[in-house]
Amino acid sequence: MITRGQRTRLRWFLVELFALALAVFYIYPVFLMVNNSLKPFREGIMDVIALPSRLAFENYVQVVNRMNYGALFMNNLIITVVGIIGIVVFSSIAAYIINRQRNRYTKIIHFLIITPMLIPFQTFMITLLKTMNTLGLSGSLVGLGIQYWGFGIPMATFIYANFMQTVPREIDESAFIDGASTLQTFVRVIFPILKPITITVIVLNVMWIWNDFLLPLLMVNSTERTRTLVLSAYTFVGQFNTQWHYAMTAMVLAVAPSVVFFVLLQKHIVKGVIAGAVKG
Amino acid sequence: MVTMKRSTKGKLEMVLFTLPAVILVTMMIYIPFISSGYYSLTEWNGISSVATFVGLENFKTIFLKSSQFTNVLIFTGKYTALFVLFSNVLALALAVLLVTKIKTANFLRGVFFVPYIMSMTIVGFIWKFIFSSGFARLYQITGWAFLNWSWLGNANLAFYSVVLVGVWQQLGFYMVLYIAGLQSIPGDVLEAATVDGAGSLRRFFSVTLPLLAPSITICLFMSLTNALKMFDIVLALTQGGPGGSTYTATLDIYREAFQRNNFGLGSAKAVVFFFIVLVLTQLVLWISRRKEVDL
Repeated sequence: MITRGQRTRLRWFLVELFALALAVFYIYPVFLMVNNSLKPFREGIMDVIALPSRLAFENYVQVVNRMNYGALFMNNLIITVVGIIGIVVFSSIAAYIINRQRNRYTKIIHFLIITPMLIPFQTFMITLLKTMNTLGLSGSLVGLGIQYWGFGIPMATFIYANFMQTVPREIDESAFIDGASTLQTFVRVIFPILKPITITVIVLNVMWIWNDFLLPLLMVNSTERTRTLVLSAYTFVGQFNTQWHYAMTAMVLAVAPSVVFFVLLQKHIVKGVIAGAVKG
Repeated sequence: MVTMKRSTKGKLEMVLFTLPAVILVTMMIYIPFISSGYYSLTEWNGISSVATFVGLENFKTIFLKSSQFTNVLIFTGKYTALFVLFSNVLALALAVLLVTKIKTANFLRGVFFVPYIMSMTIVGFIWKFIFSSGFARLYQITGWAFLNWSWLGNANLAFYSVVLVGVWQQLGFYMVLYIAGLQSIPGDVLEAATVDGAGSLRRFFSVTLPLLAPSITICLFMSLTNALKMFDIVLALTQGGPGGSTYTATLDIYREAFQRNNFGLGSAKAVVFFFIVLVLTQLVLWISRRKEVDL
């Protein structure tokens, strides 16, 4: 006799099995990439599906050296860190003022800052290159990082300004009474309160800047010295498209930082993505 | 006296603390955006300092002299339609599956999200490898005919390949948004429906789906803009081929300017593209917001 409870449990077990099978099928392409990156040259050509007979870590040594992976990683780090700092600093303080001084000027300023969220990057990338050449911001890593300020500020300001509505005014007023200036109040009192939303902003922008392709392609692709990880992987895969084991290794190395970042910060990332989409 | 002083100081602070953001946005977005409007009326090779004013000549080229950009727009439109449909339906189905009380739900959500955090360029390469080497080997093993089709070499099939890869990369993102929406539906509403004798299908279509309207609006909007802007995946997967059949609008704008050095014509295409995106996104927002109010 099967009891009702047992039948429900069996049903859930089957649902679980189905979901697992679906996930395995879904992520198989990623597995296939890792699998082939670990194969000695001949094996990859003969059978892309079979598992490697031995783990060919020498592929990784080769590719790390040929791509100059350490330098690329640093390039990405410089661009991302420069970008994030500016986005967080300028957006949070602008949002603070916009929220606290509600008048017609701040309304116009708010509108000016957030409207570009509706303008697709590709519609002005041609003239952007010209403008950035004029300003001397193209061709350098720090320059590229600074460019991300302009592109990141609209959404970050929007998210910060929404969050500021939940921060009671009494908090700054008591700081004012203690004689703090606006800037002091912001730095010491408000910014710490904004921490959860700052994490959201950082996570969203790291994911975007780290993996961005088109803007770096336009700005820093002309010399090898300034290439980003994804740009370099793009070139590398193009050159080694007959030696898939190297191409695969380069691809794994290019996505590895974001995957590690995701695994470590999964909760924040998922929360940030939801906040960014719902508010954007 | 004191209040006046304070308000002057307040104004000064208002300017001082918002100025960096305004200047940066102006430099990076408004100036290039407005000047692309100007350059769309010129013939300019991008290098010389002089751009010859040609009036609406570029727009005539786009719409009257050649059907090339029209074809690109048709491809982008078809891609967008299929992408929006599949990514939303599948993401919602996945979300429904993964909000149930199965034990591995959290872990599996993470698995489905992984492609979304990977660089789109690399995603394009992974699938290029699968469509060529992976499918070839699978065909040897299974003998299934569809694995032997030319998924990237045939124009019709290449279209579906691009849709498949696009949806695969972003599905996890919309799934996460739908899961958040499903979790915000109060349990007692669903219980009430059960008490009233609604079956699970009825409950889904009559209770869950209407209550999910805000999430649907967001996902429709995001998937629409993401599909229209598609660039990286196509560049890595098909490079616009075979025979230019998978050129997206953004890839074509890029090529026109940076490979053919027609910066004026490229800017004109960009302007056309901007208005199309603007109209479509506002239309979708308007329609789905209206639906929300009705419920």
